[in-house]
Amino acid sequence: MCKVCVVCIETMAARQTILNIQNLVNPSLLTVKRNYKRWLAPTLKELKRRKMKMGPEPPTRRSAFLEWNYHAELFAFGKRLGEEFRKDLLQRAFTHRSYIVQEEMRQKEVGIEDPKLSLEDNQEFIRRGETLMSEYLKCHLRVALPRFPEEGICAVHGYLMTDKTLAHVSRHLGTKDIILSSDFPVEEVTLATTLKALVGALAESSGAVRAREFVRDFILTQLAGRDINEFWEIKDPMRTLADILKRDGRGEPEPRLINESGRNTILATYQVAVYSDKQFIGLGYGESISIAVEMAAHDALKRLFHTTENMKPIPFTVDVRSMSYDESKWNTSVNDWSSAKVENVDC
Amino acid sequence: MTAYKRVQQWNTFARVWHLYDATWQNPFESAQRIMKYLKGLHKPIYHPLNDCGDHVVVINSGEIALLGDEWRKRVYFHHTGYPGGATWTLAWELHDKDPTMIMKKAVYNVMDGNLQRRYTMQRLHIYPDDDVPEKIKQNITNQIRQLRPVPKRLDRYAPEEVQRFPKVMDWPKNYILR
Repeated sequence: MCKVCVVCIETMAARQTILNIQNLVNPSLLTVKRNYKRWLAPTLKELKRRKMKMGPEPPTRRSAFLEWNYHAELFAFGKRLGEEFRKDLLQRAFTHRSYIVQEEMRQKEVGIEDPKLSLEDNQEFIRRGETLMSEYLKCHLRVALPRFPEEGICAVHGYLMTDKTLAHVSRHLGTKDIILSSDFPVEEVTLATTLKALVGALAESSGAVRAREFVRDFILTQLAGRDINEFWEIKDPMRTLADILKRDGRGEPEPRLINESGRNTILATYQVAVYSDKQFIGLGYGESISIAVEMAAHDALKRLFHTTENMKPIPFTVDVRSMSYDESKWNTSVNDWSSAKVENVDC
Repeated sequence: MTAYKRVQQWNTFARVWHLYDATWQNPFESAQRIMKYLKGLHKPIYHPLNDCGDHVVVINSGEIALLGDEWRKRVYFHHTGYPGGATWTLAWELHDKDPTMIMKKAVYNVMDGNLQRRYTMQRLHIYPDDDVPEKIKQNITNQIRQLRPVPKRLDRYAPEEVQRFPKVMDWPKNYILR
C-alpha cells in the first residue's frame, strides 16, 4: 500500500514538472483565449459592398473554364439523346459560319496572312435539316388530322418551325454550351438553326428514318396539350361555314339564342347554337350575342374538322416508315372543303 | 389566352338568375334550397374561395306558410344595444310589418356566419308579391322547383267546374248545410 502511494506521488511530481516546462516554452497553451470575432461581419459586409458596386458578373462561356473538354461534351451529347452521331458530323453541325469567320479574323490579327482552319460550317446541314423537318412535320400533321384544312396544317407547321419553338427545344436538349458561334450568349436564331443542323447531321449519320423519329419525338411533341385551333385564325367563320354547307348541299347556317342569363348586368352571358336544316351543328357562348354567334360558327367548323376539345390526341408513336412522303398529297383547302371530299380519308 | 378560352371561362363563371315562388312554402326549408343556389353549391366548380354563387329572385314571400302554431309561437328577438332595448316580435307581427323579413332572416340564418354571408345575401332579391321590376325580370332565366306543389283552392275554381265535378252522393233534400 505504502509502495503504491510512493509511486503515485512520483507520477504526480513528474506531471507537474512537464507542465512547468511547457508553460515556459509556450504560455498560450494553457490560457486559451476565447472572444467574439468582431472583424468577421464588417469584412463580409465590405466584400458584399464591393461586389454590389461592381455590378452583375458578365456571363462567361462554359468553354472558358479550365476543365472544359469539348470532345467529351460532344460525345456525351449524342449519348444523352440515345443517337449515334458520327463525331465529325456532329462537330460540324455545331460549327456556325460566324464562328469560322471570327476565328479567321483572330488569326489575321495575330499576323497569319493565310489563315487555314480545318473546320467546316453547318450551312449544308441547316438546309438539309430544315427541309427534312418541314416535310416530315407536314406529313405527320396531314396523317393525324386528315379533315383539317391545309391552311390550318400550314399554321401549325409554322408554329412548330418558328425560331422560338425550335430554340426552346434546342436549349433544353443542352446545345447552348456546345454551339460554336460568334454570338454570346447564344441568340434564339442560332439555337434554332443548330437544331435544324443537328437533324441534318443525324440524317447523314444514321439515316433519314432516324432523323424523322428525332423530329417526331422532340419537335412534334411540342403540340402535346395544346389546342390545335389556336394556331389558325379563321377571319370570317360564319361565311366560311356557310360556304362549306353550301358545297355540302345543306341549308344556310342559322344562329339561334338558346340560353342567356343576367341580360341587364355586366356579367351577361349568352349561348348561341347554329342550326342547318333544323339540325344542330355547333354551340358557342360569349359576353354578347355577336361574340356568341362567332364562337358558335367556330365550334361548328371544329366539329366538321374533327378538332374539338375532346378530339383524339395527335399520335406521337406512329411508325415513321409507314408514312408516305408525298409532297403533292395535300389536305383539302378551306376554300373548297366539303364533307364529301374528306369522307374517304377519314380515319 | 385565346378567344375560345376566354368565352369558356366567361360561360363557366356566369351568374345565373333563378326564380323561386314562395307561395305556400315553408320558408325555413326553402332557405336550405335557396342557399345552395346563392353560394353556388350546385355547381361542379364550387369551392369556398370561388366566387361562383348565383342570384335568386324570391316572389310571393307574403304567401309563405308556417307550420302549426309557428305564426303565434315563433319569436324574433332584437336588441338595440341600449338598456331595456330588447324586443320580442312574434312571427305574424313581423310578417305584418314586412312580408319579406321572415324569408330573408330564414336564408340569413341558414348560412354560416362568415365574412361572405352579407355579400351572398346581396344576391338574394325578395318581393312580397309577383310584382317584380322589369329590369330584374329580364335577367331571370331559370326556376327553382318548389318544395311541394301548390294545390288549387276550391274558391278559385269556377262554379261550373265545381258543378261538373263527379259527386259520390247528394245531400238529402231536407238536409241543412251549416
